Formats: sequence, structure tokens, C-alpha cells
Amino acid sequence: MSIIKSSQTHPLYKDLVKIVGEDRVSDSRVVMSAYSKDACHLTAERPEVVVMPETLDEIKSIAKICNSTKTPLVPAGGRNGICGACLPRIEGAVMLDMVKMDEIVEINEDVMTVTVEAGLRWAELIHRLDEKGYKLGFRGPYGGNAGTVGGSVSINSIGYAASKFGPSTEGVVSLEVVLANGDVITTGSGWNKDAPIFARYTTYNDITGLFLGDHGTLGVKTKVTLKIYPKADYFTYGDFGFTSLEDASQAFLEVQKLGFTEELNLLADRQSTDTFFPGFLDKHPEIKSMFASVVQEVDAQLAQRKMEIIREIALKHGGKDLGNFASQMHWSELFNLVQPLYNNGFWLNTCHLRPIPKIPALMDRMWAIFEKYQLLENGIKWIASCLGAERAYATGWVTIFAPNKEKMELALKAWNEMLDSVIETKGCPYWNGLLWEKRALKQTDQKFLDTYWTVKKALDPENILSPHVFEGGF
Amino acid sequence: MEYNNLSEYEQDLFLCGRCGDCSLADKIVASGRDVFHPCSVKNVLGFEVFACRGRIMVLNDLLTGELEVDDDIINWAYTCTTCRNCQETCTATADGIRLPEIMEAFRKDLVEAGYQLEKHEKIEKSINELGNPYKEQHDKRLEVFGDREWPEKADVVYFVGCTSAYREKEIARTTVDLLDRSGVNYTVLEDERCCGSVLLRVGRTDAFAALSQHNIEKIKESGAKTVVTSCAGCYRTWKVDVVEQGHEYDFEILHITEYLDKLIQDEKLSFEAPEPIKVTYHDPCHLGRHAEVYEAPRRVIQAVENVELVEMETNKRYAHCCGSGGGVKSSFGELANKIAADRVHEAEDTKAEILVTACPFCHKGLVDGAKHSASSMKILDLPEFLMAYVKEGKKKSKAAEHPLKTKFMKYLRKHPLIFDGLKKDAIIDYEIEGERFHVHVLDKGEIEVVPRRSENPDVELIFSPAAVEKLTSFKNEEEYAAQFGLFFKEPTEEEWIKFNLRRNIVKLLMKGYRKFAQKAGLI
Repeated sequence: MSIIKSSQTHPLYKDLVKIVGEDRVSDSRVVMSAYSKDACHLTAERPEVVVMPETLDEIKSIAKICNSTKTPLVPAGGRNGICGACLPRIEGAVMLDMVKMDEIVEINEDVMTVTVEAGLRWAELIHRLDEKGYKLGFRGPYGGNAGTVGGSVSINSIGYAASKFGPSTEGVVSLEVVLANGDVITTGSGWNKDAPIFARYTTYNDITGLFLGDHGTLGVKTKVTLKIYPKADYFTYGDFGFTSLEDASQAFLEVQKLGFTEELNLLADRQSTDTFFPGFLDKHPEIKSMFASVVQEVDAQLAQRKMEIIREIALKHGGKDLGNFASQMHWSELFNLVQPLYNNGFWLNTCHLRPIPKIPALMDRMWAIFEKYQLLENGIKWIASCLGAERAYATGWVTIFAPNKEKMELALKAWNEMLDSVIETKGCPYWNGLLWEKRALKQTDQKFLDTYWTVKKALDPENILSPHVFEGGF
Repeated sequence: MEYNNLSEYEQDLFLCGRCGDCSLADKIVASGRDVFHPCSVKNVLGFEVFACRGRIMVLNDLLTGELEVDDDIINWAYTCTTCRNCQETCTATADGIRLPEIMEAFRKDLVEAGYQLEKHEKIEKSINELGNPYKEQHDKRLEVFGDREWPEKADVVYFVGCTSAYREKEIARTTVDLLDRSGVNYTVLEDERCCGSVLLRVGRTDAFAALSQHNIEKIKESGAKTVVTSCAGCYRTWKVDVVEQGHEYDFEILHITEYLDKLIQDEKLSFEAPEPIKVTYHDPCHLGRHAEVYEAPRRVIQAVENVELVEMETNKRYAHCCGSGGGVKSSFGELANKIAADRVHEAEDTKAEILVTACPFCHKGLVDGAKHSASSMKILDLPEFLMAYVKEGKKKSKAAEHPLKTKFMKYLRKHPLIFDGLKKDAIIDYEIEGERFHVHVLDKGEIEVVPRRSENPDVELIFSPAAVEKLTSFKNEEEYAAQFGLFFKEPTEEEWIKFNLRRNIVKLLMKGYRKFAQKAGLI
């Protein structure tokens, strides 16, 4: 049922209708408008036709027709990333809106994996696993209500439960990928067509890793197999405040090294805490920085003991026990933490990874920028938050909020200096996209890049998959 | 084209962060809300442009001139049911991004610029000339009740509404039957006219003032202090729109579900099903999200002996729309039928035997949706459902109240300072072993403790019995607050408190919950 008529001007429109039917293809400018941005302010080209595939065969056929006509093909998940990764860099692109491919294909309880179609959203996957008594390791990015599994593992997303399980890509066992020519491969133990999918590293090199974080440039992910774990019902929570960011960072590092915490989140300064949890530190004027910690275990005593140890570490570093309200709120509002921050304005982020000891150096630079541009005086709030990630590194999420259109220009000036500071203090973006590409390319070793382009040319000789990504365009 | 009405929402259009919750969220397990793919239109049509996030992007493109109004835009504008599920799901601003208002403002701009759907022109003409949108004769409006004579004066007016009067007549008849059985002194208006809802929803506002003034005048002439309607659309219009448009009235407006709830509480009506039966309830958007009546219909259904109420996966604040609202059914019937079919499938998943709703539009839409998908689900409007089970003779007596609930309510009434800092109309719902009551913060530090579940709480607090025993033993508010915080921070198997946030954090902070949490030692 088409209510908005397609213009039928895209050269592949009729071919695409033959593959998926009229209801799941549109090249209307009105429909394209809704695919013109993700959740950041950056823009590139608009797709010129959007297709909503429902099966592997449809995607194979679409890839073949795009390949034979050298038409750009851009896969997109929930389109709520914040780096512009899913936006085409070239005119005439066919965009795959993958969200109709959202089935759970198999929960394999013998080998503790779940195989899902790539368009399934993290929150929905958690819902379905919960019904069966399982949980994921990495739970999804903070936008996991709409963020898809396929989208996240394509851009190295990080978020909930990264403290224990690492970023989205760490939990991947296998991928089913449609290559540019329409061929399909299954990675991990999937190389053996008679074996179940149960392991990532078997017999050959790690082809799975080749496609993770590829930003849609090497293939279209259609299925993802992830590790699952028994649901654990016992939680303990702890919030700890510190009089300096240095003390907080040291305690944070020591806790993160232990690997006890499902989630470990540091708020670098009072302003950040106040933006996240207004009033939380009112009774603690001496506290400059804090972290919230969440432990989840299958046994109550285990959960309690781990939190006691975390508390001991925090106190050893001069920390103060602030109770557990922030960490309880943090965890109970899974996937809903970021959205209320929009109330402060449209956000400009600097999401990246860095070693935990390098957090204070970053913040020294950031505070100087905030002061230089008088952000608070101009109604621009910020949050500097660092999420512990597997073993001993962290995210650096320093985000500012432009309260209205008029303040956007000033906010953008500050933001550009913030991005420079992240790179200059040796941070590494986890995703790339429009947000980071130019700055990342300046730092990238040429041999590393040449290797990537050799692989790209071998897998996608006609350069149809997300062309011009990693070239620094826009 | 001028966007004078739409432009008033520029800040909402700017603040939408395009997180996509309005389109794709499943919050059922992850954050304990009954949200699942909120946009019932997008769920059928697929493309993002039909969900709130996509609509905001299109509207921004219109404002910047990237897009211009054409037939596609006009059709697109009228595919939103304005059901408000996206707004309830949205946590970006205190009230959520106000898409229903935004779409209605845009429709108003379209009408002002001369763009309109032919169907809507005809509806307006019919209302102006005949007082109803169905091109039916005005003098036939009360034929649904036969040749019954209606008193000119009464305590209560039953505002029938056009759809019940001319299309869904069984709703009107059974409502009158129930009112008759209750012994209430009521009447209907001989010269009732359309409430104007459909005009507002599609951006045609010119005739609304005259309709409201006429109906208010007629109700005043009847001397009624209470107006009851069985139509969720009329109810929302009276309760929200008429007031917002500046018309004053001094009578109380109740939906039939609220009125029946009162009659049952007052032991004037009771119901009993002969056999055990399982039913589910569909929340009409105009009764639920737009007017925040969720519990009254449920209490009424649960008051029927032998009836078990089971909830659909999405319910109350996050219930999927039936597809009939916002002018969608009149403009895009097939779309409305498909949306309704989705909702009927949700009802089937509960294994309920009957799907009950409380709105003639929803009833008609759901019945059509069931036909569309060849479903055999029985669909009844609430008065029709109840009429089959009216209990003759002795009315059901109220069940005895849980002693701890009574004790806790009494304690809170004595200690209003517990709620000091909360702003007017803050509402906290309390649960002890399944028994509910709520505290409503009034002006100047006063509170009202109401012995039933709130329709629209900010927060739901669940207490173990031992926690209530201990909390009610304290003489002052400080001790109470300190122990409250301790139960939350360090719960034991016996003594604990849990909570569910029912509003987004920004809204809670605006209502003064920060001070409440600070007093309780939570922050």
C-alpha cells in the first residue's frame, strides 16, 4: 500500500520493485528526507532510493543488480548512530533499510549463542533472550532501543556492559555477509557447512574480524551470531565520589582491571554529574568526580562481596561512599539515559577510546576549551563521561549541548577544538564516519590504509559498497 | 507557503535527537515500560517517514525549503493518527516531542493555504449544515432511542456523540440501558451537535467555537452538573480542547467508564458473568494518552464477577493505536484496517475471549480490522459488554480494605511534610501486596490520599509489608525519609521498596522529585 508515490526516476527503481515488490521500495523525495540524517547534525548525500529487504535472497539480488550497474549500495540499521556512518557519500545511492530483518534465527543453548538477523534491535533481543532465561554480554549501545545488532558491529559501537564484555564486536562469534557480487559467506565455524556455528576462531584466520567495524564497505551483514550467558538475578550497586579526577581515575582503573563490574561509568566533573543527575552532589560540595558501578552475578553473596571490594578500592583512593541511587537509576533506565539529555539541547559528541590514565589529560584540555568559549555562560552544558571497557581502557564521551539554533555556531567552534584535543591527547575514535574521518586519516599510517584498500578492492572491485567511506569526504 | 502554526514548534523540531525510540523501541524488558514499536502507522507502512522521527525530518525540510508541499506531502500529513504514542515514548523533553500538536499545526497551515483533502471539506460541510460529519439528518439524531421522551432538566446529561448516534448505535443504546438500571436522573440533549473533534484533528478549526458554544448553552439549559459521554473523542474534546480554546463551563465531564466506576463504587450497579471469562482491554488514545484515563475502565471490567482481565503486550500509556484517529480512517481506510488488524492480533495473543474498548471509533475500527484479517475475536464496547452481565437484586458489597493499606494511608495523611518540595499535581502511587492507593499533591503543602490506583502517577512505589510496618512507626518525617532511603539502598528480603518511574526524568525533576530524593537520602 503506497500512500506516498515513488517518483520512479532512479535507474534501478523498477528492478528493485521486481525483487521486493512496490511496497518496500521508494524513491520519493519525501521518503528520502526521513533517511537524510542519523542522530548527529552532520549531513552527506541523501539516498536516492530506499529498499526494505526481508530476506537474504532479496539482498543477494539487490547486491547483484547494484554490482552489475555499478550503483552505490549503502546498508543502514536503526540510523541512530552519532557519526553519520550510514549516510551515502555519493549521489544515486540505494540504501538498505535493514530493520525488517529482525528475526531471532536460533538460540543454541548447547553452545550458548544466539543468531539474529542483522536488523534486530538490541533492546528487542534482550527482551526475547530474557524470556528464555539468558542475557547478552555486551548489551548494546546507549541508543540500543533503535540501534541494530548489524549496525553496531559494523561501526565498533560500545555501550552497556562494555566494562565486563568489551564493545559490541567482542561478543561476535560469526557473521553471515552478502558480498558485493551477491555471494554469501558465513564466518567463524560457519566455514564448515556441516558444522553448527559455535566458535569464531577455527581452522583459518579470523574472517569475522575483517567485516567488523567495516562501516558497510566490505559486505552487507545479514546475520550475526553473538555469545549469550545465563541470566543473573543478583545485582549490587555503588556510587563513589572523589575530590579530584586523578584520584577517581586511579580508583576507576583499579576496579576496571578486576573485571568485576557489568557497568562502570565515571563522571569527570561536577558539571557532568549535575547534567546527568541534577542535585546528586548538592550535599557533597567537596566531590569533583564520581563513578557508578554495577555488579551482576548469579549468586547474591558473590555480588555483595564484589561490591565490598570495589568500595574498599574507592575508599583507599580517598573516595566517599555516595550510596547507590545513581548506579541503580543508570541501570534501570537501560537505553533511556541519553535521550533526556536532549532537553539540554542538540548534542555534539566526541566519542572515542583512551587508556584510563589519559582521562585527566583530556579533561584539562576540555575544561580550557569550555572556559575559552564560556560555554556555561552561553547556556551550553556538557557531560564528560567515561565508560570502562574490557580489561583496562575507557570511552571518552565529552558531549556539549547547543540549547537552540542560535547557539549552534558557538557550540560548533568549541566542538571542533574538542575533537582536535581528543586526537592530540592520543585518543582513538571507536567509530569513524563523518564525525572523525578527516582527523583519523591524518593520523593513519599509510601502510595500514593501503592494506585496507587492497582488501576493499579484492572484495568489492566495482566499489559499490558505501563508496568514499574512509576517504575523508564531506 | 506560510508555516505560521508549525513555526510555533521550532524548538521541538530542533530538540528531536533522532534517537528513533518513537519508531523502533522495545522497552518492555530493558527499562520496564510497555513500549513496543510505538508507531502503529509506521508498523504497517514501513518507511521511517511515517514515524515521529521521520516526520520531524520532513517538517524541518519543509521549513528550510528543501521540500515543498505537494500531493504526497498532503497525503502524508493525514496518515498520522495523532495517537500520541510517540510522544509518550519520547524522553527527549519533559513532555516528549509533541508530534500530535505539531501535525495538527501543520494541517492547519495546509488548510489555511488552501490545501485539503476533498473528504475533509465534505465532513466540515456536513457538520456545519447538519451538526454531524455523516451527512445524516439532524432530527434523526435521537432515533437511536426510539420514540422515548427526554426530560428538559436533569442532574446528568448523556452526550451521545455523532458516531454512537448514527453509526455505532448499540453503544448509545446500552449506555442508556445502564443509566436506566442505575436509577440516575439523566437526559440527553434534543439539539446536541458534533463536538468538533474531527475538525480539530484535521486542521479545520473555524467551526469549532460555534459548536462548543452551542453545546455548552444546551447543557446549561438542562441544569446538569455532570455530563457523561461514551465517546473517547467527545470526551477528549470536552476535557482538553474546549478548555484550551477558551470556552468555560461549570459542569463536570466524565467518560462513561469513569461514571460507571462511580456507580459501582456507590453500589448502584453490579455485574456478574455466568461463566469464567477472560477479556482484554484496548485503551482508546483519546481516553488514555490524551485524557489520562487508564484505570477506571479496568476497575469496571474487574468489577464484573467471573471476569479475568488480561493485558496486551502494549497497554495503557503505550498501547498501540487502533488506526481510526486523526482522520486516518476517513482518509485511508485500508491503512486503518491494517493497523486495527495488528491490534486485534495483539489481543489474540493474550488468549482473551473478548476484546473490550471504550470508544465508538475504536470499536468500529477494531471490528473492521478483525474482518480485514479474518479474525473471530469478539469485540465489544464497554457498555455493550457490561449489559450482558447486569446483576439483578443485591448489589456487590465493597471488599474490605487491606489493613496495612488503611494504616499507611492514615499515616501519610498525618504527615504531609513527607511530600514537601513536590509541586502541585505530583502523584505517587503506592502498592502493598497488590493493594493500591495514591497521593496527590495539592496546593500549599496539602495532600490528598486517594484509596485507589492513580490514573496517571509520576512514580509507582511498591512496599513490602514489613517496610510499611516500620515506616508507619516513625513519629516524624525526617526519620521516615531516612528509613525510606535505607530500604531502597540496602534492602533485605523482608524489608524493601521498589519503584517504577512512569514519567521521564526531565519531567520528574520539574515536578520537584529532586528534593524528595534528597530528603530520602537517595541523592
